[in-house]
Amino acid sequence: MAERGDPTGRTATYCVIGAGSSGLAAVKNLRQYGFDVECLERAEDVGGNWNFGGPTSRVYASTHVISSKPFTQYPDFPMPDRWPDYPHHSQLHAYFRRYAEHFDLLRHIRFGHEVVDLRPVDGAAAWQVTVRTADGVEETRHYAGVVIANGHNWQPKWPRYDGEFAGELLHSMHYKGPDVLRGKRVLVVGGGNTGCDVAVEAAQHADRALHSTRRGYWYVPKFTFGRASDQVNDLLIGLRVPRRLRQWLFRATLRATVGDLTRFGLPEPDHDILETHPIVNSLLVYHLGHGDITPKPDVRRFDGYRVTFADGSEDEVDMVLCCTGYLATVDFLADPQRLNWDGDRFHLYQHVFTPRHDNLFVAGLIQPDSGQFTIAHWQTVAIAEFLRARERAPHAVREFLETARRKLDHRYTAGVDYADTTRHYYEIAHHDYVRGLERTINRLRRAACTR
Amino acid sequence: MHKVRAYRPLEWALPPRPVEREVISRLPDTETGRPPLLFVHGMRHAAACFDEHWLRHAAERGFPAHAVSLRGHGGSGGRDLLRRATLRDYVHDVIQTAVALPRQPVLIGHSMGGLVVAMALARYPALGGVLVAPVAVDHGLGSALALGRHGPLALLRGLAGRTVPLRPEWLFAQLDGDTATRHMAGLGDESPLAQYQMILHGPPGRPLGGAPVLVVGAGEDRLVPAGDVRRTARYYGTEPVFHRGFGHDLMLETRWREPLDQILSWVAELPQVTR
Repeated sequence: MAERGDPTGRTATYCVIGAGSSGLAAVKNLRQYGFDVECLERAEDVGGNWNFGGPTSRVYASTHVISSKPFTQYPDFPMPDRWPDYPHHSQLHAYFRRYAEHFDLLRHIRFGHEVVDLRPVDGAAAWQVTVRTADGVEETRHYAGVVIANGHNWQPKWPRYDGEFAGELLHSMHYKGPDVLRGKRVLVVGGGNTGCDVAVEAAQHADRALHSTRRGYWYVPKFTFGRASDQVNDLLIGLRVPRRLRQWLFRATLRATVGDLTRFGLPEPDHDILETHPIVNSLLVYHLGHGDITPKPDVRRFDGYRVTFADGSEDEVDMVLCCTGYLATVDFLADPQRLNWDGDRFHLYQHVFTPRHDNLFVAGLIQPDSGQFTIAHWQTVAIAEFLRARERAPHAVREFLETARRKLDHRYTAGVDYADTTRHYYEIAHHDYVRGLERTINRLRRAACTR
Repeated sequence: MHKVRAYRPLEWALPPRPVEREVISRLPDTETGRPPLLFVHGMRHAAACFDEHWLRHAAERGFPAHAVSLRGHGGSGGRDLLRRATLRDYVHDVIQTAVALPRQPVLIGHSMGGLVVAMALARYPALGGVLVAPVAVDHGLGSALALGRHGPLALLRGLAGRTVPLRPEWLFAQLDGDTATRHMAGLGDESPLAQYQMILHGPPGRPLGGAPVLVVGAGEDRLVPAGDVRRTARYYGTEPVFHRGFGHDLMLETRWREPLDQILSWVAELPQVTR
C-alpha cells in the first residue's frame, strides 16, 4: 500500500469510499473507463446496507426489496431469472459479492479501512484521505479524486417527544428481527416502508401492535394485474399515459381492490397517489383488516409506559420502535461546505456533482421512488464520463460545472413537490431523474468525443 | 457518437419471461487463467452444434468453454412460447448466462447468434466479441435475398411466419451426405418474430467498455453474403477474416479446427481487463 500513500499528492488513483451498492458500481464503472481505483470499506465484506450484521447494515431478517428486479438490478448485471420478483436481502448480498467477483473488483477494495478524514490538498488538485484500520492504526493517502458512496441509511433520525418513556425505546436501526417483539405491547412509529414492515411483524409476533403515522398514505400492493406493481406503473409511463390519468387509474384500482382504508381507522390520505413515494406493502392492510394492528395518529407525549396520542387517546406499551428514518451525513469530510452543506442538507447537481470541485463526487445519495442500484449505476457512469471529459475536453467540463452551479437545486420529481422533510430532500422520480442523468452522460460524452 | 440510453421504461415494465436454459460446459483440466468463452448458436440450431468439436478443443487449449441454447432451442425451456420469442429474449438469455460465469467471458456468436452477441455486447461489458458468419449488424436483407435466390419457397415460408426450411448445401461445403443429414435432423423450429427481426433491425449500440470485436466469415457461405460480413466488420472498425472453402456452419465442417484456432489465437491476445 506504500505506493498509494505518496505524500506529494502526485497520484492518478481515484478513491471510492464505501463498497456498498453505489461504491461497487463506482469501482466497476471507473475501472471500465480505464481509471485506477482504490475502494476503502470499513466492514470486512461488500454490500454496505445489505451486508446483514455489518456496521452500517440496517436491514432486518425479513427485509425484501420493494422494487422489482428490473428496477433494482445493475442494468449490465441482471439478477438471475430464478430469483423472485422481490428478492430477499441475503440474495442481494450474494448479488453484490458475485458482481464484485465477476468484474474482478475485490483486488481494488481495502476492507477494514474506515475513512476518518477527507480534505483537499494542493488547491484541491488532489484529496487527502485518512483511514483507520481495524487495529486502530491511522494513515494518510492522496488521491486524484474521490467518489463518496458512504450510504445515507445508517445514521438514525430520532423523533422528539415530550415526557419520558419508561419502556424500551429503539430505533429501526436496532431492529434485526421479530424476537425482540415477543410478549410485548409494541408501538411502531413511522409510516415509511420500514415502519409498515415492522408494524406487520409486530402484528405477527408481539402481544399488541400499535402503529403511529402522522398522515394518511396510499398503500400499494406488491402485485397488481398479475405483475409487480412498479412494472404496471412504468408500462403506463412508457406508453406516455399522462400522470393525471395514471393517478386516476391507480386510485380506481385501489378503490376497487383494497377499498376505503378509513374503515380500519386510518386517516384519509391528504395527497393524491404518486404525490409521495408509495408505501409498497401488501400485508399492512391485511393485518389492519384482521384487527392485528391498531392504527394511531402522531405521538404527543410519554409518561412512564403511558403514551398520549394527538387525538387525545391513551395507551400503554412496553416498547417503542421508531422507524423514523435516517439522516444523510458525510461525517469524515473536514469541511462539509465542499459539498454545499447548508446545515441541513447537501446541495448537489443531480445529487452527484458539486460545482466547487471537478474531482469530488457523491454516489447513491438519493431516495428514488424505484430501485436504487440501477440509478447508482447510471450515476457512476456519469462520473466516469465526467472524468474522461475532464481529461479530453477541460473547457467542456468547466462549462458543465457552470451549468451545475446554475441548476444546483433542480429537483427531479417529475413536477411533483414532495413534502419538505429531511427524507424528501433527496427524493427523486426515477423516470425524471434517469432521463436527467442520461442527458448528462451524453453531453459529457459528446464533449469528450469532439474535443 | 453513440448516445447512451439509460431511460428504458418499457424494458423495465416488460422483463423477458424467465426460462431454464441448457448450458453445455467443457472445462480445462486445470485452471489456466484464460477467460471463459460463451458460444451462441444461430437460427434453428442449439448449443449442441458447438459440442460436436469446438467446445472440447477450446477446453483442451485452456479455455473454459460454454455454449447456451437460446429459449425454445435444444434443451432449453420456452419451447411452448417460441412463437412469441424475440431477439431481445435471446439477448437476455445470453446475458443471463454470461453473468452467471465467474468472470467476464468472450461472447462468440454464429449467424443469428452473431447478431444476438452484437446486441448483447451493447448491454453487457464482455471481454470481447467474436461474430462468426453473422447476420449483418445493420439489416439482414442481404441474407434474405440470398435465401430467396437459393430457395424462393423457403423465403416465402419464412415471410409467412413459418420456420425457414434449410438445405444441407446451404450450410455445409465439406461434409459427406450422412453427416450433413445427421446435423440437419438436429435442427429445431425458429421464432417467426426473430426471423423477421433478422431481416429488419437497426444497428446495435457500441460494445460496452470498448470490448474488441472479431468478425469471421465463411468463404462459401450461401446465407450470409461476403459483403454483409464486411459491412459488419466495418461497423466495428475492423477487417473480417474469411475462411476459404467453408460453408455457413464453420463449426461443423470437416476442417472445423482452422477457424476455431484462429479465433482462440485472437482471444489469447486480448487484454485480460476490460477498459
